[in-house]
Amino acid sequence: MSATVGPTIDGPPAIEIEHLTVSYGQVAALLDISVAIGAGQLVGIIGPNGSGKSTLVKAILGFLRPDIGRVRIFGQPLERATGRVAYVPQRGAVDWDFPVSVREVALMGRYGRIPWWREPSADDFRAADEALETVRMAEYRDRRIGQLSGGQQQRVFMARAMAQGAEILLLDEPFAGVDASTERAILEVLSRMRAAGRTLVVVHHDLATAAEYFDNLLLIKQRLYAYGPPSAVLDQELLAEVYEGRLQVFSRLLAGRGGAP
Amino acid sequence: MSDWWESLTAWHATHAHVARALLAGSLVSIVCGVTGCFIVLRRMAFLGDALAHAMLAGVVIGYLLMKWLFGLEAHAPAMLVGALIAGLATVGLVGVVSRQSRVKEDAAIGILYTGIFALGGLIASYFSHYIHIDLLHFVTGNLLAVELADLWTMAGVAAIVLSAVILGFRSLQLTSFDPVMAASLGIPVAALDYLLTTCTSLVVVSGVHIVGVILVVGLLITPAATALLVSRRLSGMLWMSAFFGLSSFLAGYALSEWLNVAPGSAIVVAGTLQFAAVWMAAPEHGLAARWLARRRAVPQAFREDVLGCLQRDGREWVPWKVLTERLEGGATLLRRAAEALSAAHHVEFSRDGLRLTDQGRDEALRLRRAHRLWETYLERLGTPATDLHRRADQLEHVNDERAVDYLDDKLGHPLVDPHGAEIPVDSKRIVAGAIVRVSLLREGHQAIVRRLGPAATMLPLAIGRQIRVGPRRPDHATWTIDLDDGSVVALDHRQADDVLVELRD
Repeated sequence: MSATVGPTIDGPPAIEIEHLTVSYGQVAALLDISVAIGAGQLVGIIGPNGSGKSTLVKAILGFLRPDIGRVRIFGQPLERATGRVAYVPQRGAVDWDFPVSVREVALMGRYGRIPWWREPSADDFRAADEALETVRMAEYRDRRIGQLSGGQQQRVFMARAMAQGAEILLLDEPFAGVDASTERAILEVLSRMRAAGRTLVVVHHDLATAAEYFDNLLLIKQRLYAYGPPSAVLDQELLAEVYEGRLQVFSRLLAGRGGAP
Repeated sequence: MSDWWESLTAWHATHAHVARALLAGSLVSIVCGVTGCFIVLRRMAFLGDALAHAMLAGVVIGYLLMKWLFGLEAHAPAMLVGALIAGLATVGLVGVVSRQSRVKEDAAIGILYTGIFALGGLIASYFSHYIHIDLLHFVTGNLLAVELADLWTMAGVAAIVLSAVILGFRSLQLTSFDPVMAASLGIPVAALDYLLTTCTSLVVVSGVHIVGVILVVGLLITPAATALLVSRRLSGMLWMSAFFGLSSFLAGYALSEWLNVAPGSAIVVAGTLQFAAVWMAAPEHGLAARWLARRRAVPQAFREDVLGCLQRDGREWVPWKVLTERLEGGATLLRRAAEALSAAHHVEFSRDGLRLTDQGRDEALRLRRAHRLWETYLERLGTPATDLHRRADQLEHVNDERAVDYLDDKLGHPLVDPHGAEIPVDSKRIVAGAIVRVSLLREGHQAIVRRLGPAATMLPLAIGRQIRVGPRRPDHATWTIDLDDGSVVALDHRQADDVLVELRD
């Protein structure tokens, strides 16, 4: 029952978590989590409701003080990694009537490095435009953010994270409440960002698509149950243990994928 | 009987205006309170304010029209209808602006209510030589000038509004709580919105007589907000709000008589003070109740420390003095901890001291188990020995069952902590008759084999076999089982996990 170790890679892992325990009062939200996520991977965090997925994301962002353990970003302690990790919020958190253009939103990613007395430089605009190009939103750059569809808005926020220069992107349920074609479009952007060398960690809800979308899956419920390729993580027994008493659903699910791995 | 009746009629003969004022004020404050509940729950307070101001334009226009067309001076019904129309027009325009433009509703209200109010002011001052009523009364209210006709109007308004609320209660409740769901049931949400705004306009027009345009929102919102503090259900809130409206009116009126000040201001001040008082003293969520609850609450960690301290002491009755010396926190906190623990049946206490109950002993053992497992875990992580005890003291309070079980398993079910002290078994699970894994057992436990998992199939054990758990081998990772024929079976962690046995006493 020991924690699975991440795949070996060259250089320090993008995110290295060691013996992370975070508690709210009497209950441990995360218990003894150790995992190393290699650079350039597309990783899905899965687990039932209340299993600590968002707590883990907050811990990686440094929003929480752990009881035990630490998080390292490319071998550096979290405090020295400001700006290297970007967070893409859920859609609900934003005022979509705000008067701001797509290009300005992408440019906001650069604000952390532009001193207040200086105008954004040509480099800043170039970075913003390149990021919009990557997420295929360049042609919309003069639109107001509220005029876009849900999936397009999500992509603009991913562009902002890229323009920020972040090497690691944490995305909170980007596939929640979007239609199938939008889901494809977002997935394609994720793949392009991975190809550009970014490490992407995505909180994900849908087990049915998890195997198809991600290089590696991280299955948690308070503690780490498995980390590795989907074929290893989406194991019927393991899922039955984590998602108590819903075995039937999973056997059908796994059968749908062409038999258990 | 006849005595007080005579004195009442005599008083009425001389104080007719006071009687009218009291009646009008009571009526209006009750209706405002009831209507205000919906305004508060729908977050339309600002709209109420807008209605009150916009009606001034309606009053002025109604007055002028009746005067020009029919030569009637200060025709009350026309002014009422004008006020109503102005109110509804404001609401309609706010809806159009906020839906059709990028401007949000609060800004749209801000634009329109000042615009329409100012239009009324502009007309009134342009035609000031025509207008022979004191418009100042609309701004500050004039309770003592209430005429019999006004009183009848107010009674009519009260009848209409209260019947609307009573008859439409369920629909109003649902549209205020979840309009989308209400629409899906076929409830006319938009029509109800207009009904509510009409009612609000009506009560605002009546309220303006009492406290004036500026303060009428206080009559509408404050009692309802006060009622919200003490109500769990909408029906109760409506009753409470009617009561708070009436009580603030009566208190304010008395205040104005006593201090000889304007009744409008006094009534709204009384309502505000009443809100503050109820907020302080409300039984469940009031400031005082919360403060008391916080003061009374004993931190979980402290309660657990008390249990640990009693357990370590060893005596049956532990004197209070011993505990106050050993625990930081003082005698008062200890006293409250004892009360909380006694309510949970973990301790009994008398004047002389405290005693653990059987349940409390189990709980103390569970905590000690959590503490020593955390300590062992921390030591494995390489925590310096000087830090070990302090950090485990904090972490032992993270003791949910799953977490402790996980630590125990991960550490290989250790027998002793880094200081060599014994780690207690899970006393809740290790009881006679329970089916448990052999890995959880200690030397001396007797049991019957009930199930063998995959890792245990190669072992010389059969279902139904009597066993006695022997000592752990010195590597701490090898379990031994003594069989009744004198042979000894050695198991590793995985095998010990896979042998399930029924414990005997």
